[in-house]
Amino acid sequence: MRSSINQKLVESGESERLKDILRTRLIECGWRDELKAHCKEIVKRKGLEHVTVEDLVAETTPKGRALVPDDVKKELLGRIRTFLAQQST
Amino acid sequence: MGTKASNKPSSTSSCHHIEALKSSTSLLESYGFLFETFIRSPASDSIKSCDFGAENGGYKESSRKVPPAIKCCECDDSTPRLYACLQCVYFACFEKKHIQEHAKSSKHFLAMDISYGGVYCYRCKDHIYDDDLDKVAGISNNRFFSKLFIVLGLRLIAWTPTDIEIESLHSNPKRRKIENNSSVGLRGLINLGNTCFMSCIVQALTHTPLLRDFFLSDKHNCQMMAETQQCLVCELSRLFQEFYSGSRTPHIPYRLLHLVWTHARHLAGYEQQDAHEFFIAILDLVHQHCKGTNGAASNNSNCCNCIIDQIFTGSLQSDVTCQECHNISTTIDPFWDISLDLVTPEPTSLFDCLKRFTRDEHLGSFAKIKCSQCTVHRESTKRLTMKRLPIVCCFHLKRFEHSIGYHKKIKTLISFTEELDMTPFMSGCKTNDMGECIVTDDQQYRYTLFAVVNHIGNLESGHYINYIKQGQSSWFKCDDHQITKSTIQEVLNSEGYLLFYHKKVLDYE
Repeated sequence: MRSSINQKLVESGESERLKDILRTRLIECGWRDELKAHCKEIVKRKGLEHVTVEDLVAETTPKGRALVPDDVKKELLGRIRTFLAQQST
Repeated sequence: MGTKASNKPSSTSSCHHIEALKSSTSLLESYGFLFETFIRSPASDSIKSCDFGAENGGYKESSRKVPPAIKCCECDDSTPRLYACLQCVYFACFEKKHIQEHAKSSKHFLAMDISYGGVYCYRCKDHIYDDDLDKVAGISNNRFFSKLFIVLGLRLIAWTPTDIEIESLHSNPKRRKIENNSSVGLRGLINLGNTCFMSCIVQALTHTPLLRDFFLSDKHNCQMMAETQQCLVCELSRLFQEFYSGSRTPHIPYRLLHLVWTHARHLAGYEQQDAHEFFIAILDLVHQHCKGTNGAASNNSNCCNCIIDQIFTGSLQSDVTCQECHNISTTIDPFWDISLDLVTPEPTSLFDCLKRFTRDEHLGSFAKIKCSQCTVHRESTKRLTMKRLPIVCCFHLKRFEHSIGYHKKIKTLISFTEELDMTPFMSGCKTNDMGECIVTDDQQYRYTLFAVVNHIGNLESGHYINYIKQGQSSWFKCDDHQITKSTIQEVLNSEGYLLFYHKKVLDYE
């Protein structure tokens, strides 16, 4: 189920479109700035020499996920629903 | 040296694994190819984020291939963090460590992140900045953007600091960062004798994001030569400097007032004035002064690209339909603001007002209009719609009613929202069977409130105050020299007179 939905999204190009929308929303609501500031803080705290991209990803992922506003999640879910409804008719 | 490198991680000197491969294999070519294919292909992010606008969709649709469905060679996932091996054709995900396994088993330890182009070295267990690889990416980027800008008709060049700029950055190490709760930009204005009509408009203008960016980036080139002292744009420029200097004492706008008095005689004196009239007057003056006082160009307001027109000018389409032959004659006029009637039946919301503003209106039998097709005067209907919306939309609620013999102020509460979708009021908006407009998810007609001017009191004597938005979501109430914290709720419940909305998503011009 999950993979067939994913396949449909990718093949139709909808997945790229959704990614675009998500990216725009995250910038609009300040999510990106906030996460960027958070990353800078980590780098500053640990020192540039002692931090790798992996560390950053590991440390910021939970916070990043938690910070995504509900509105954005709802919108994306709605869009996926609409898309699937269109596909099935 | 040392200047540029100091901004980057100290390991600019790459890693010896990359160095070794650069000399023995065609690493740079492979990287260039992969970068070009995934990061700078027409289907990749960057071109899409430069949205050309839906009406201009031709380029976007035709050039945009359905992106290749790249998956991890091991787990079939199209996770966000996919890497391409730089030494063979292989794609794998980072999260489930498939790219790392590949590095281990095949001894291909360099891989490129296919979303951003960063290079990962498995041996060093880190992403590496290599000057030569960066150069390859830079060339690819430049080629891509110059192509893109030809398509868009733009000339944008990335900023490479000159030696003077680098030196000046180094000798002035203090950086000012505007925090979320910063008060920079908030400044009261001393009332110079019934000048609250001016204060509230100045507050609204200084908090118009694009206008602020224009003035703070020093874009104004004075056209008034010998009379710079008379240039209102220069004065606004100084005003912006004052507002964003960080000073917290109230500003005394006597120079601005004097200039307005000299250039707009009808506003001179210590009488009470209408804030809306002042708003239009100051836009007009700034618009004229952008072109110089006696420039011929200032007469043609339809094709001007001064900052005022870029931000505030929209156009209204008026369709007059002949009731006999149904011929439609269309005219298009520019506007700076939209004045909305509040007369009976009283509307209750901004949406109501706009709906009424854009509905069919019978011109009646006393106002017959000559139809170009019937060539006689016919009864007609007229409908106004938005042909093109400005970046900043100012709605003027006509609270002051002036009829023969009586004047009154309409104090009805008109509700308005923080977010506004203008789609239903656009020319050529599609409607459903019920005649209601189909609201699409198009971003280009979405607006956000950023300033509200209120009038307190009655016609004979009153006072203007305004609310302005600062940062992402803080609201402040400006009452001449006093500035107090406010809330969006207080703003939305207030008796709005002028409502300023800003476009949410900006297109490239």
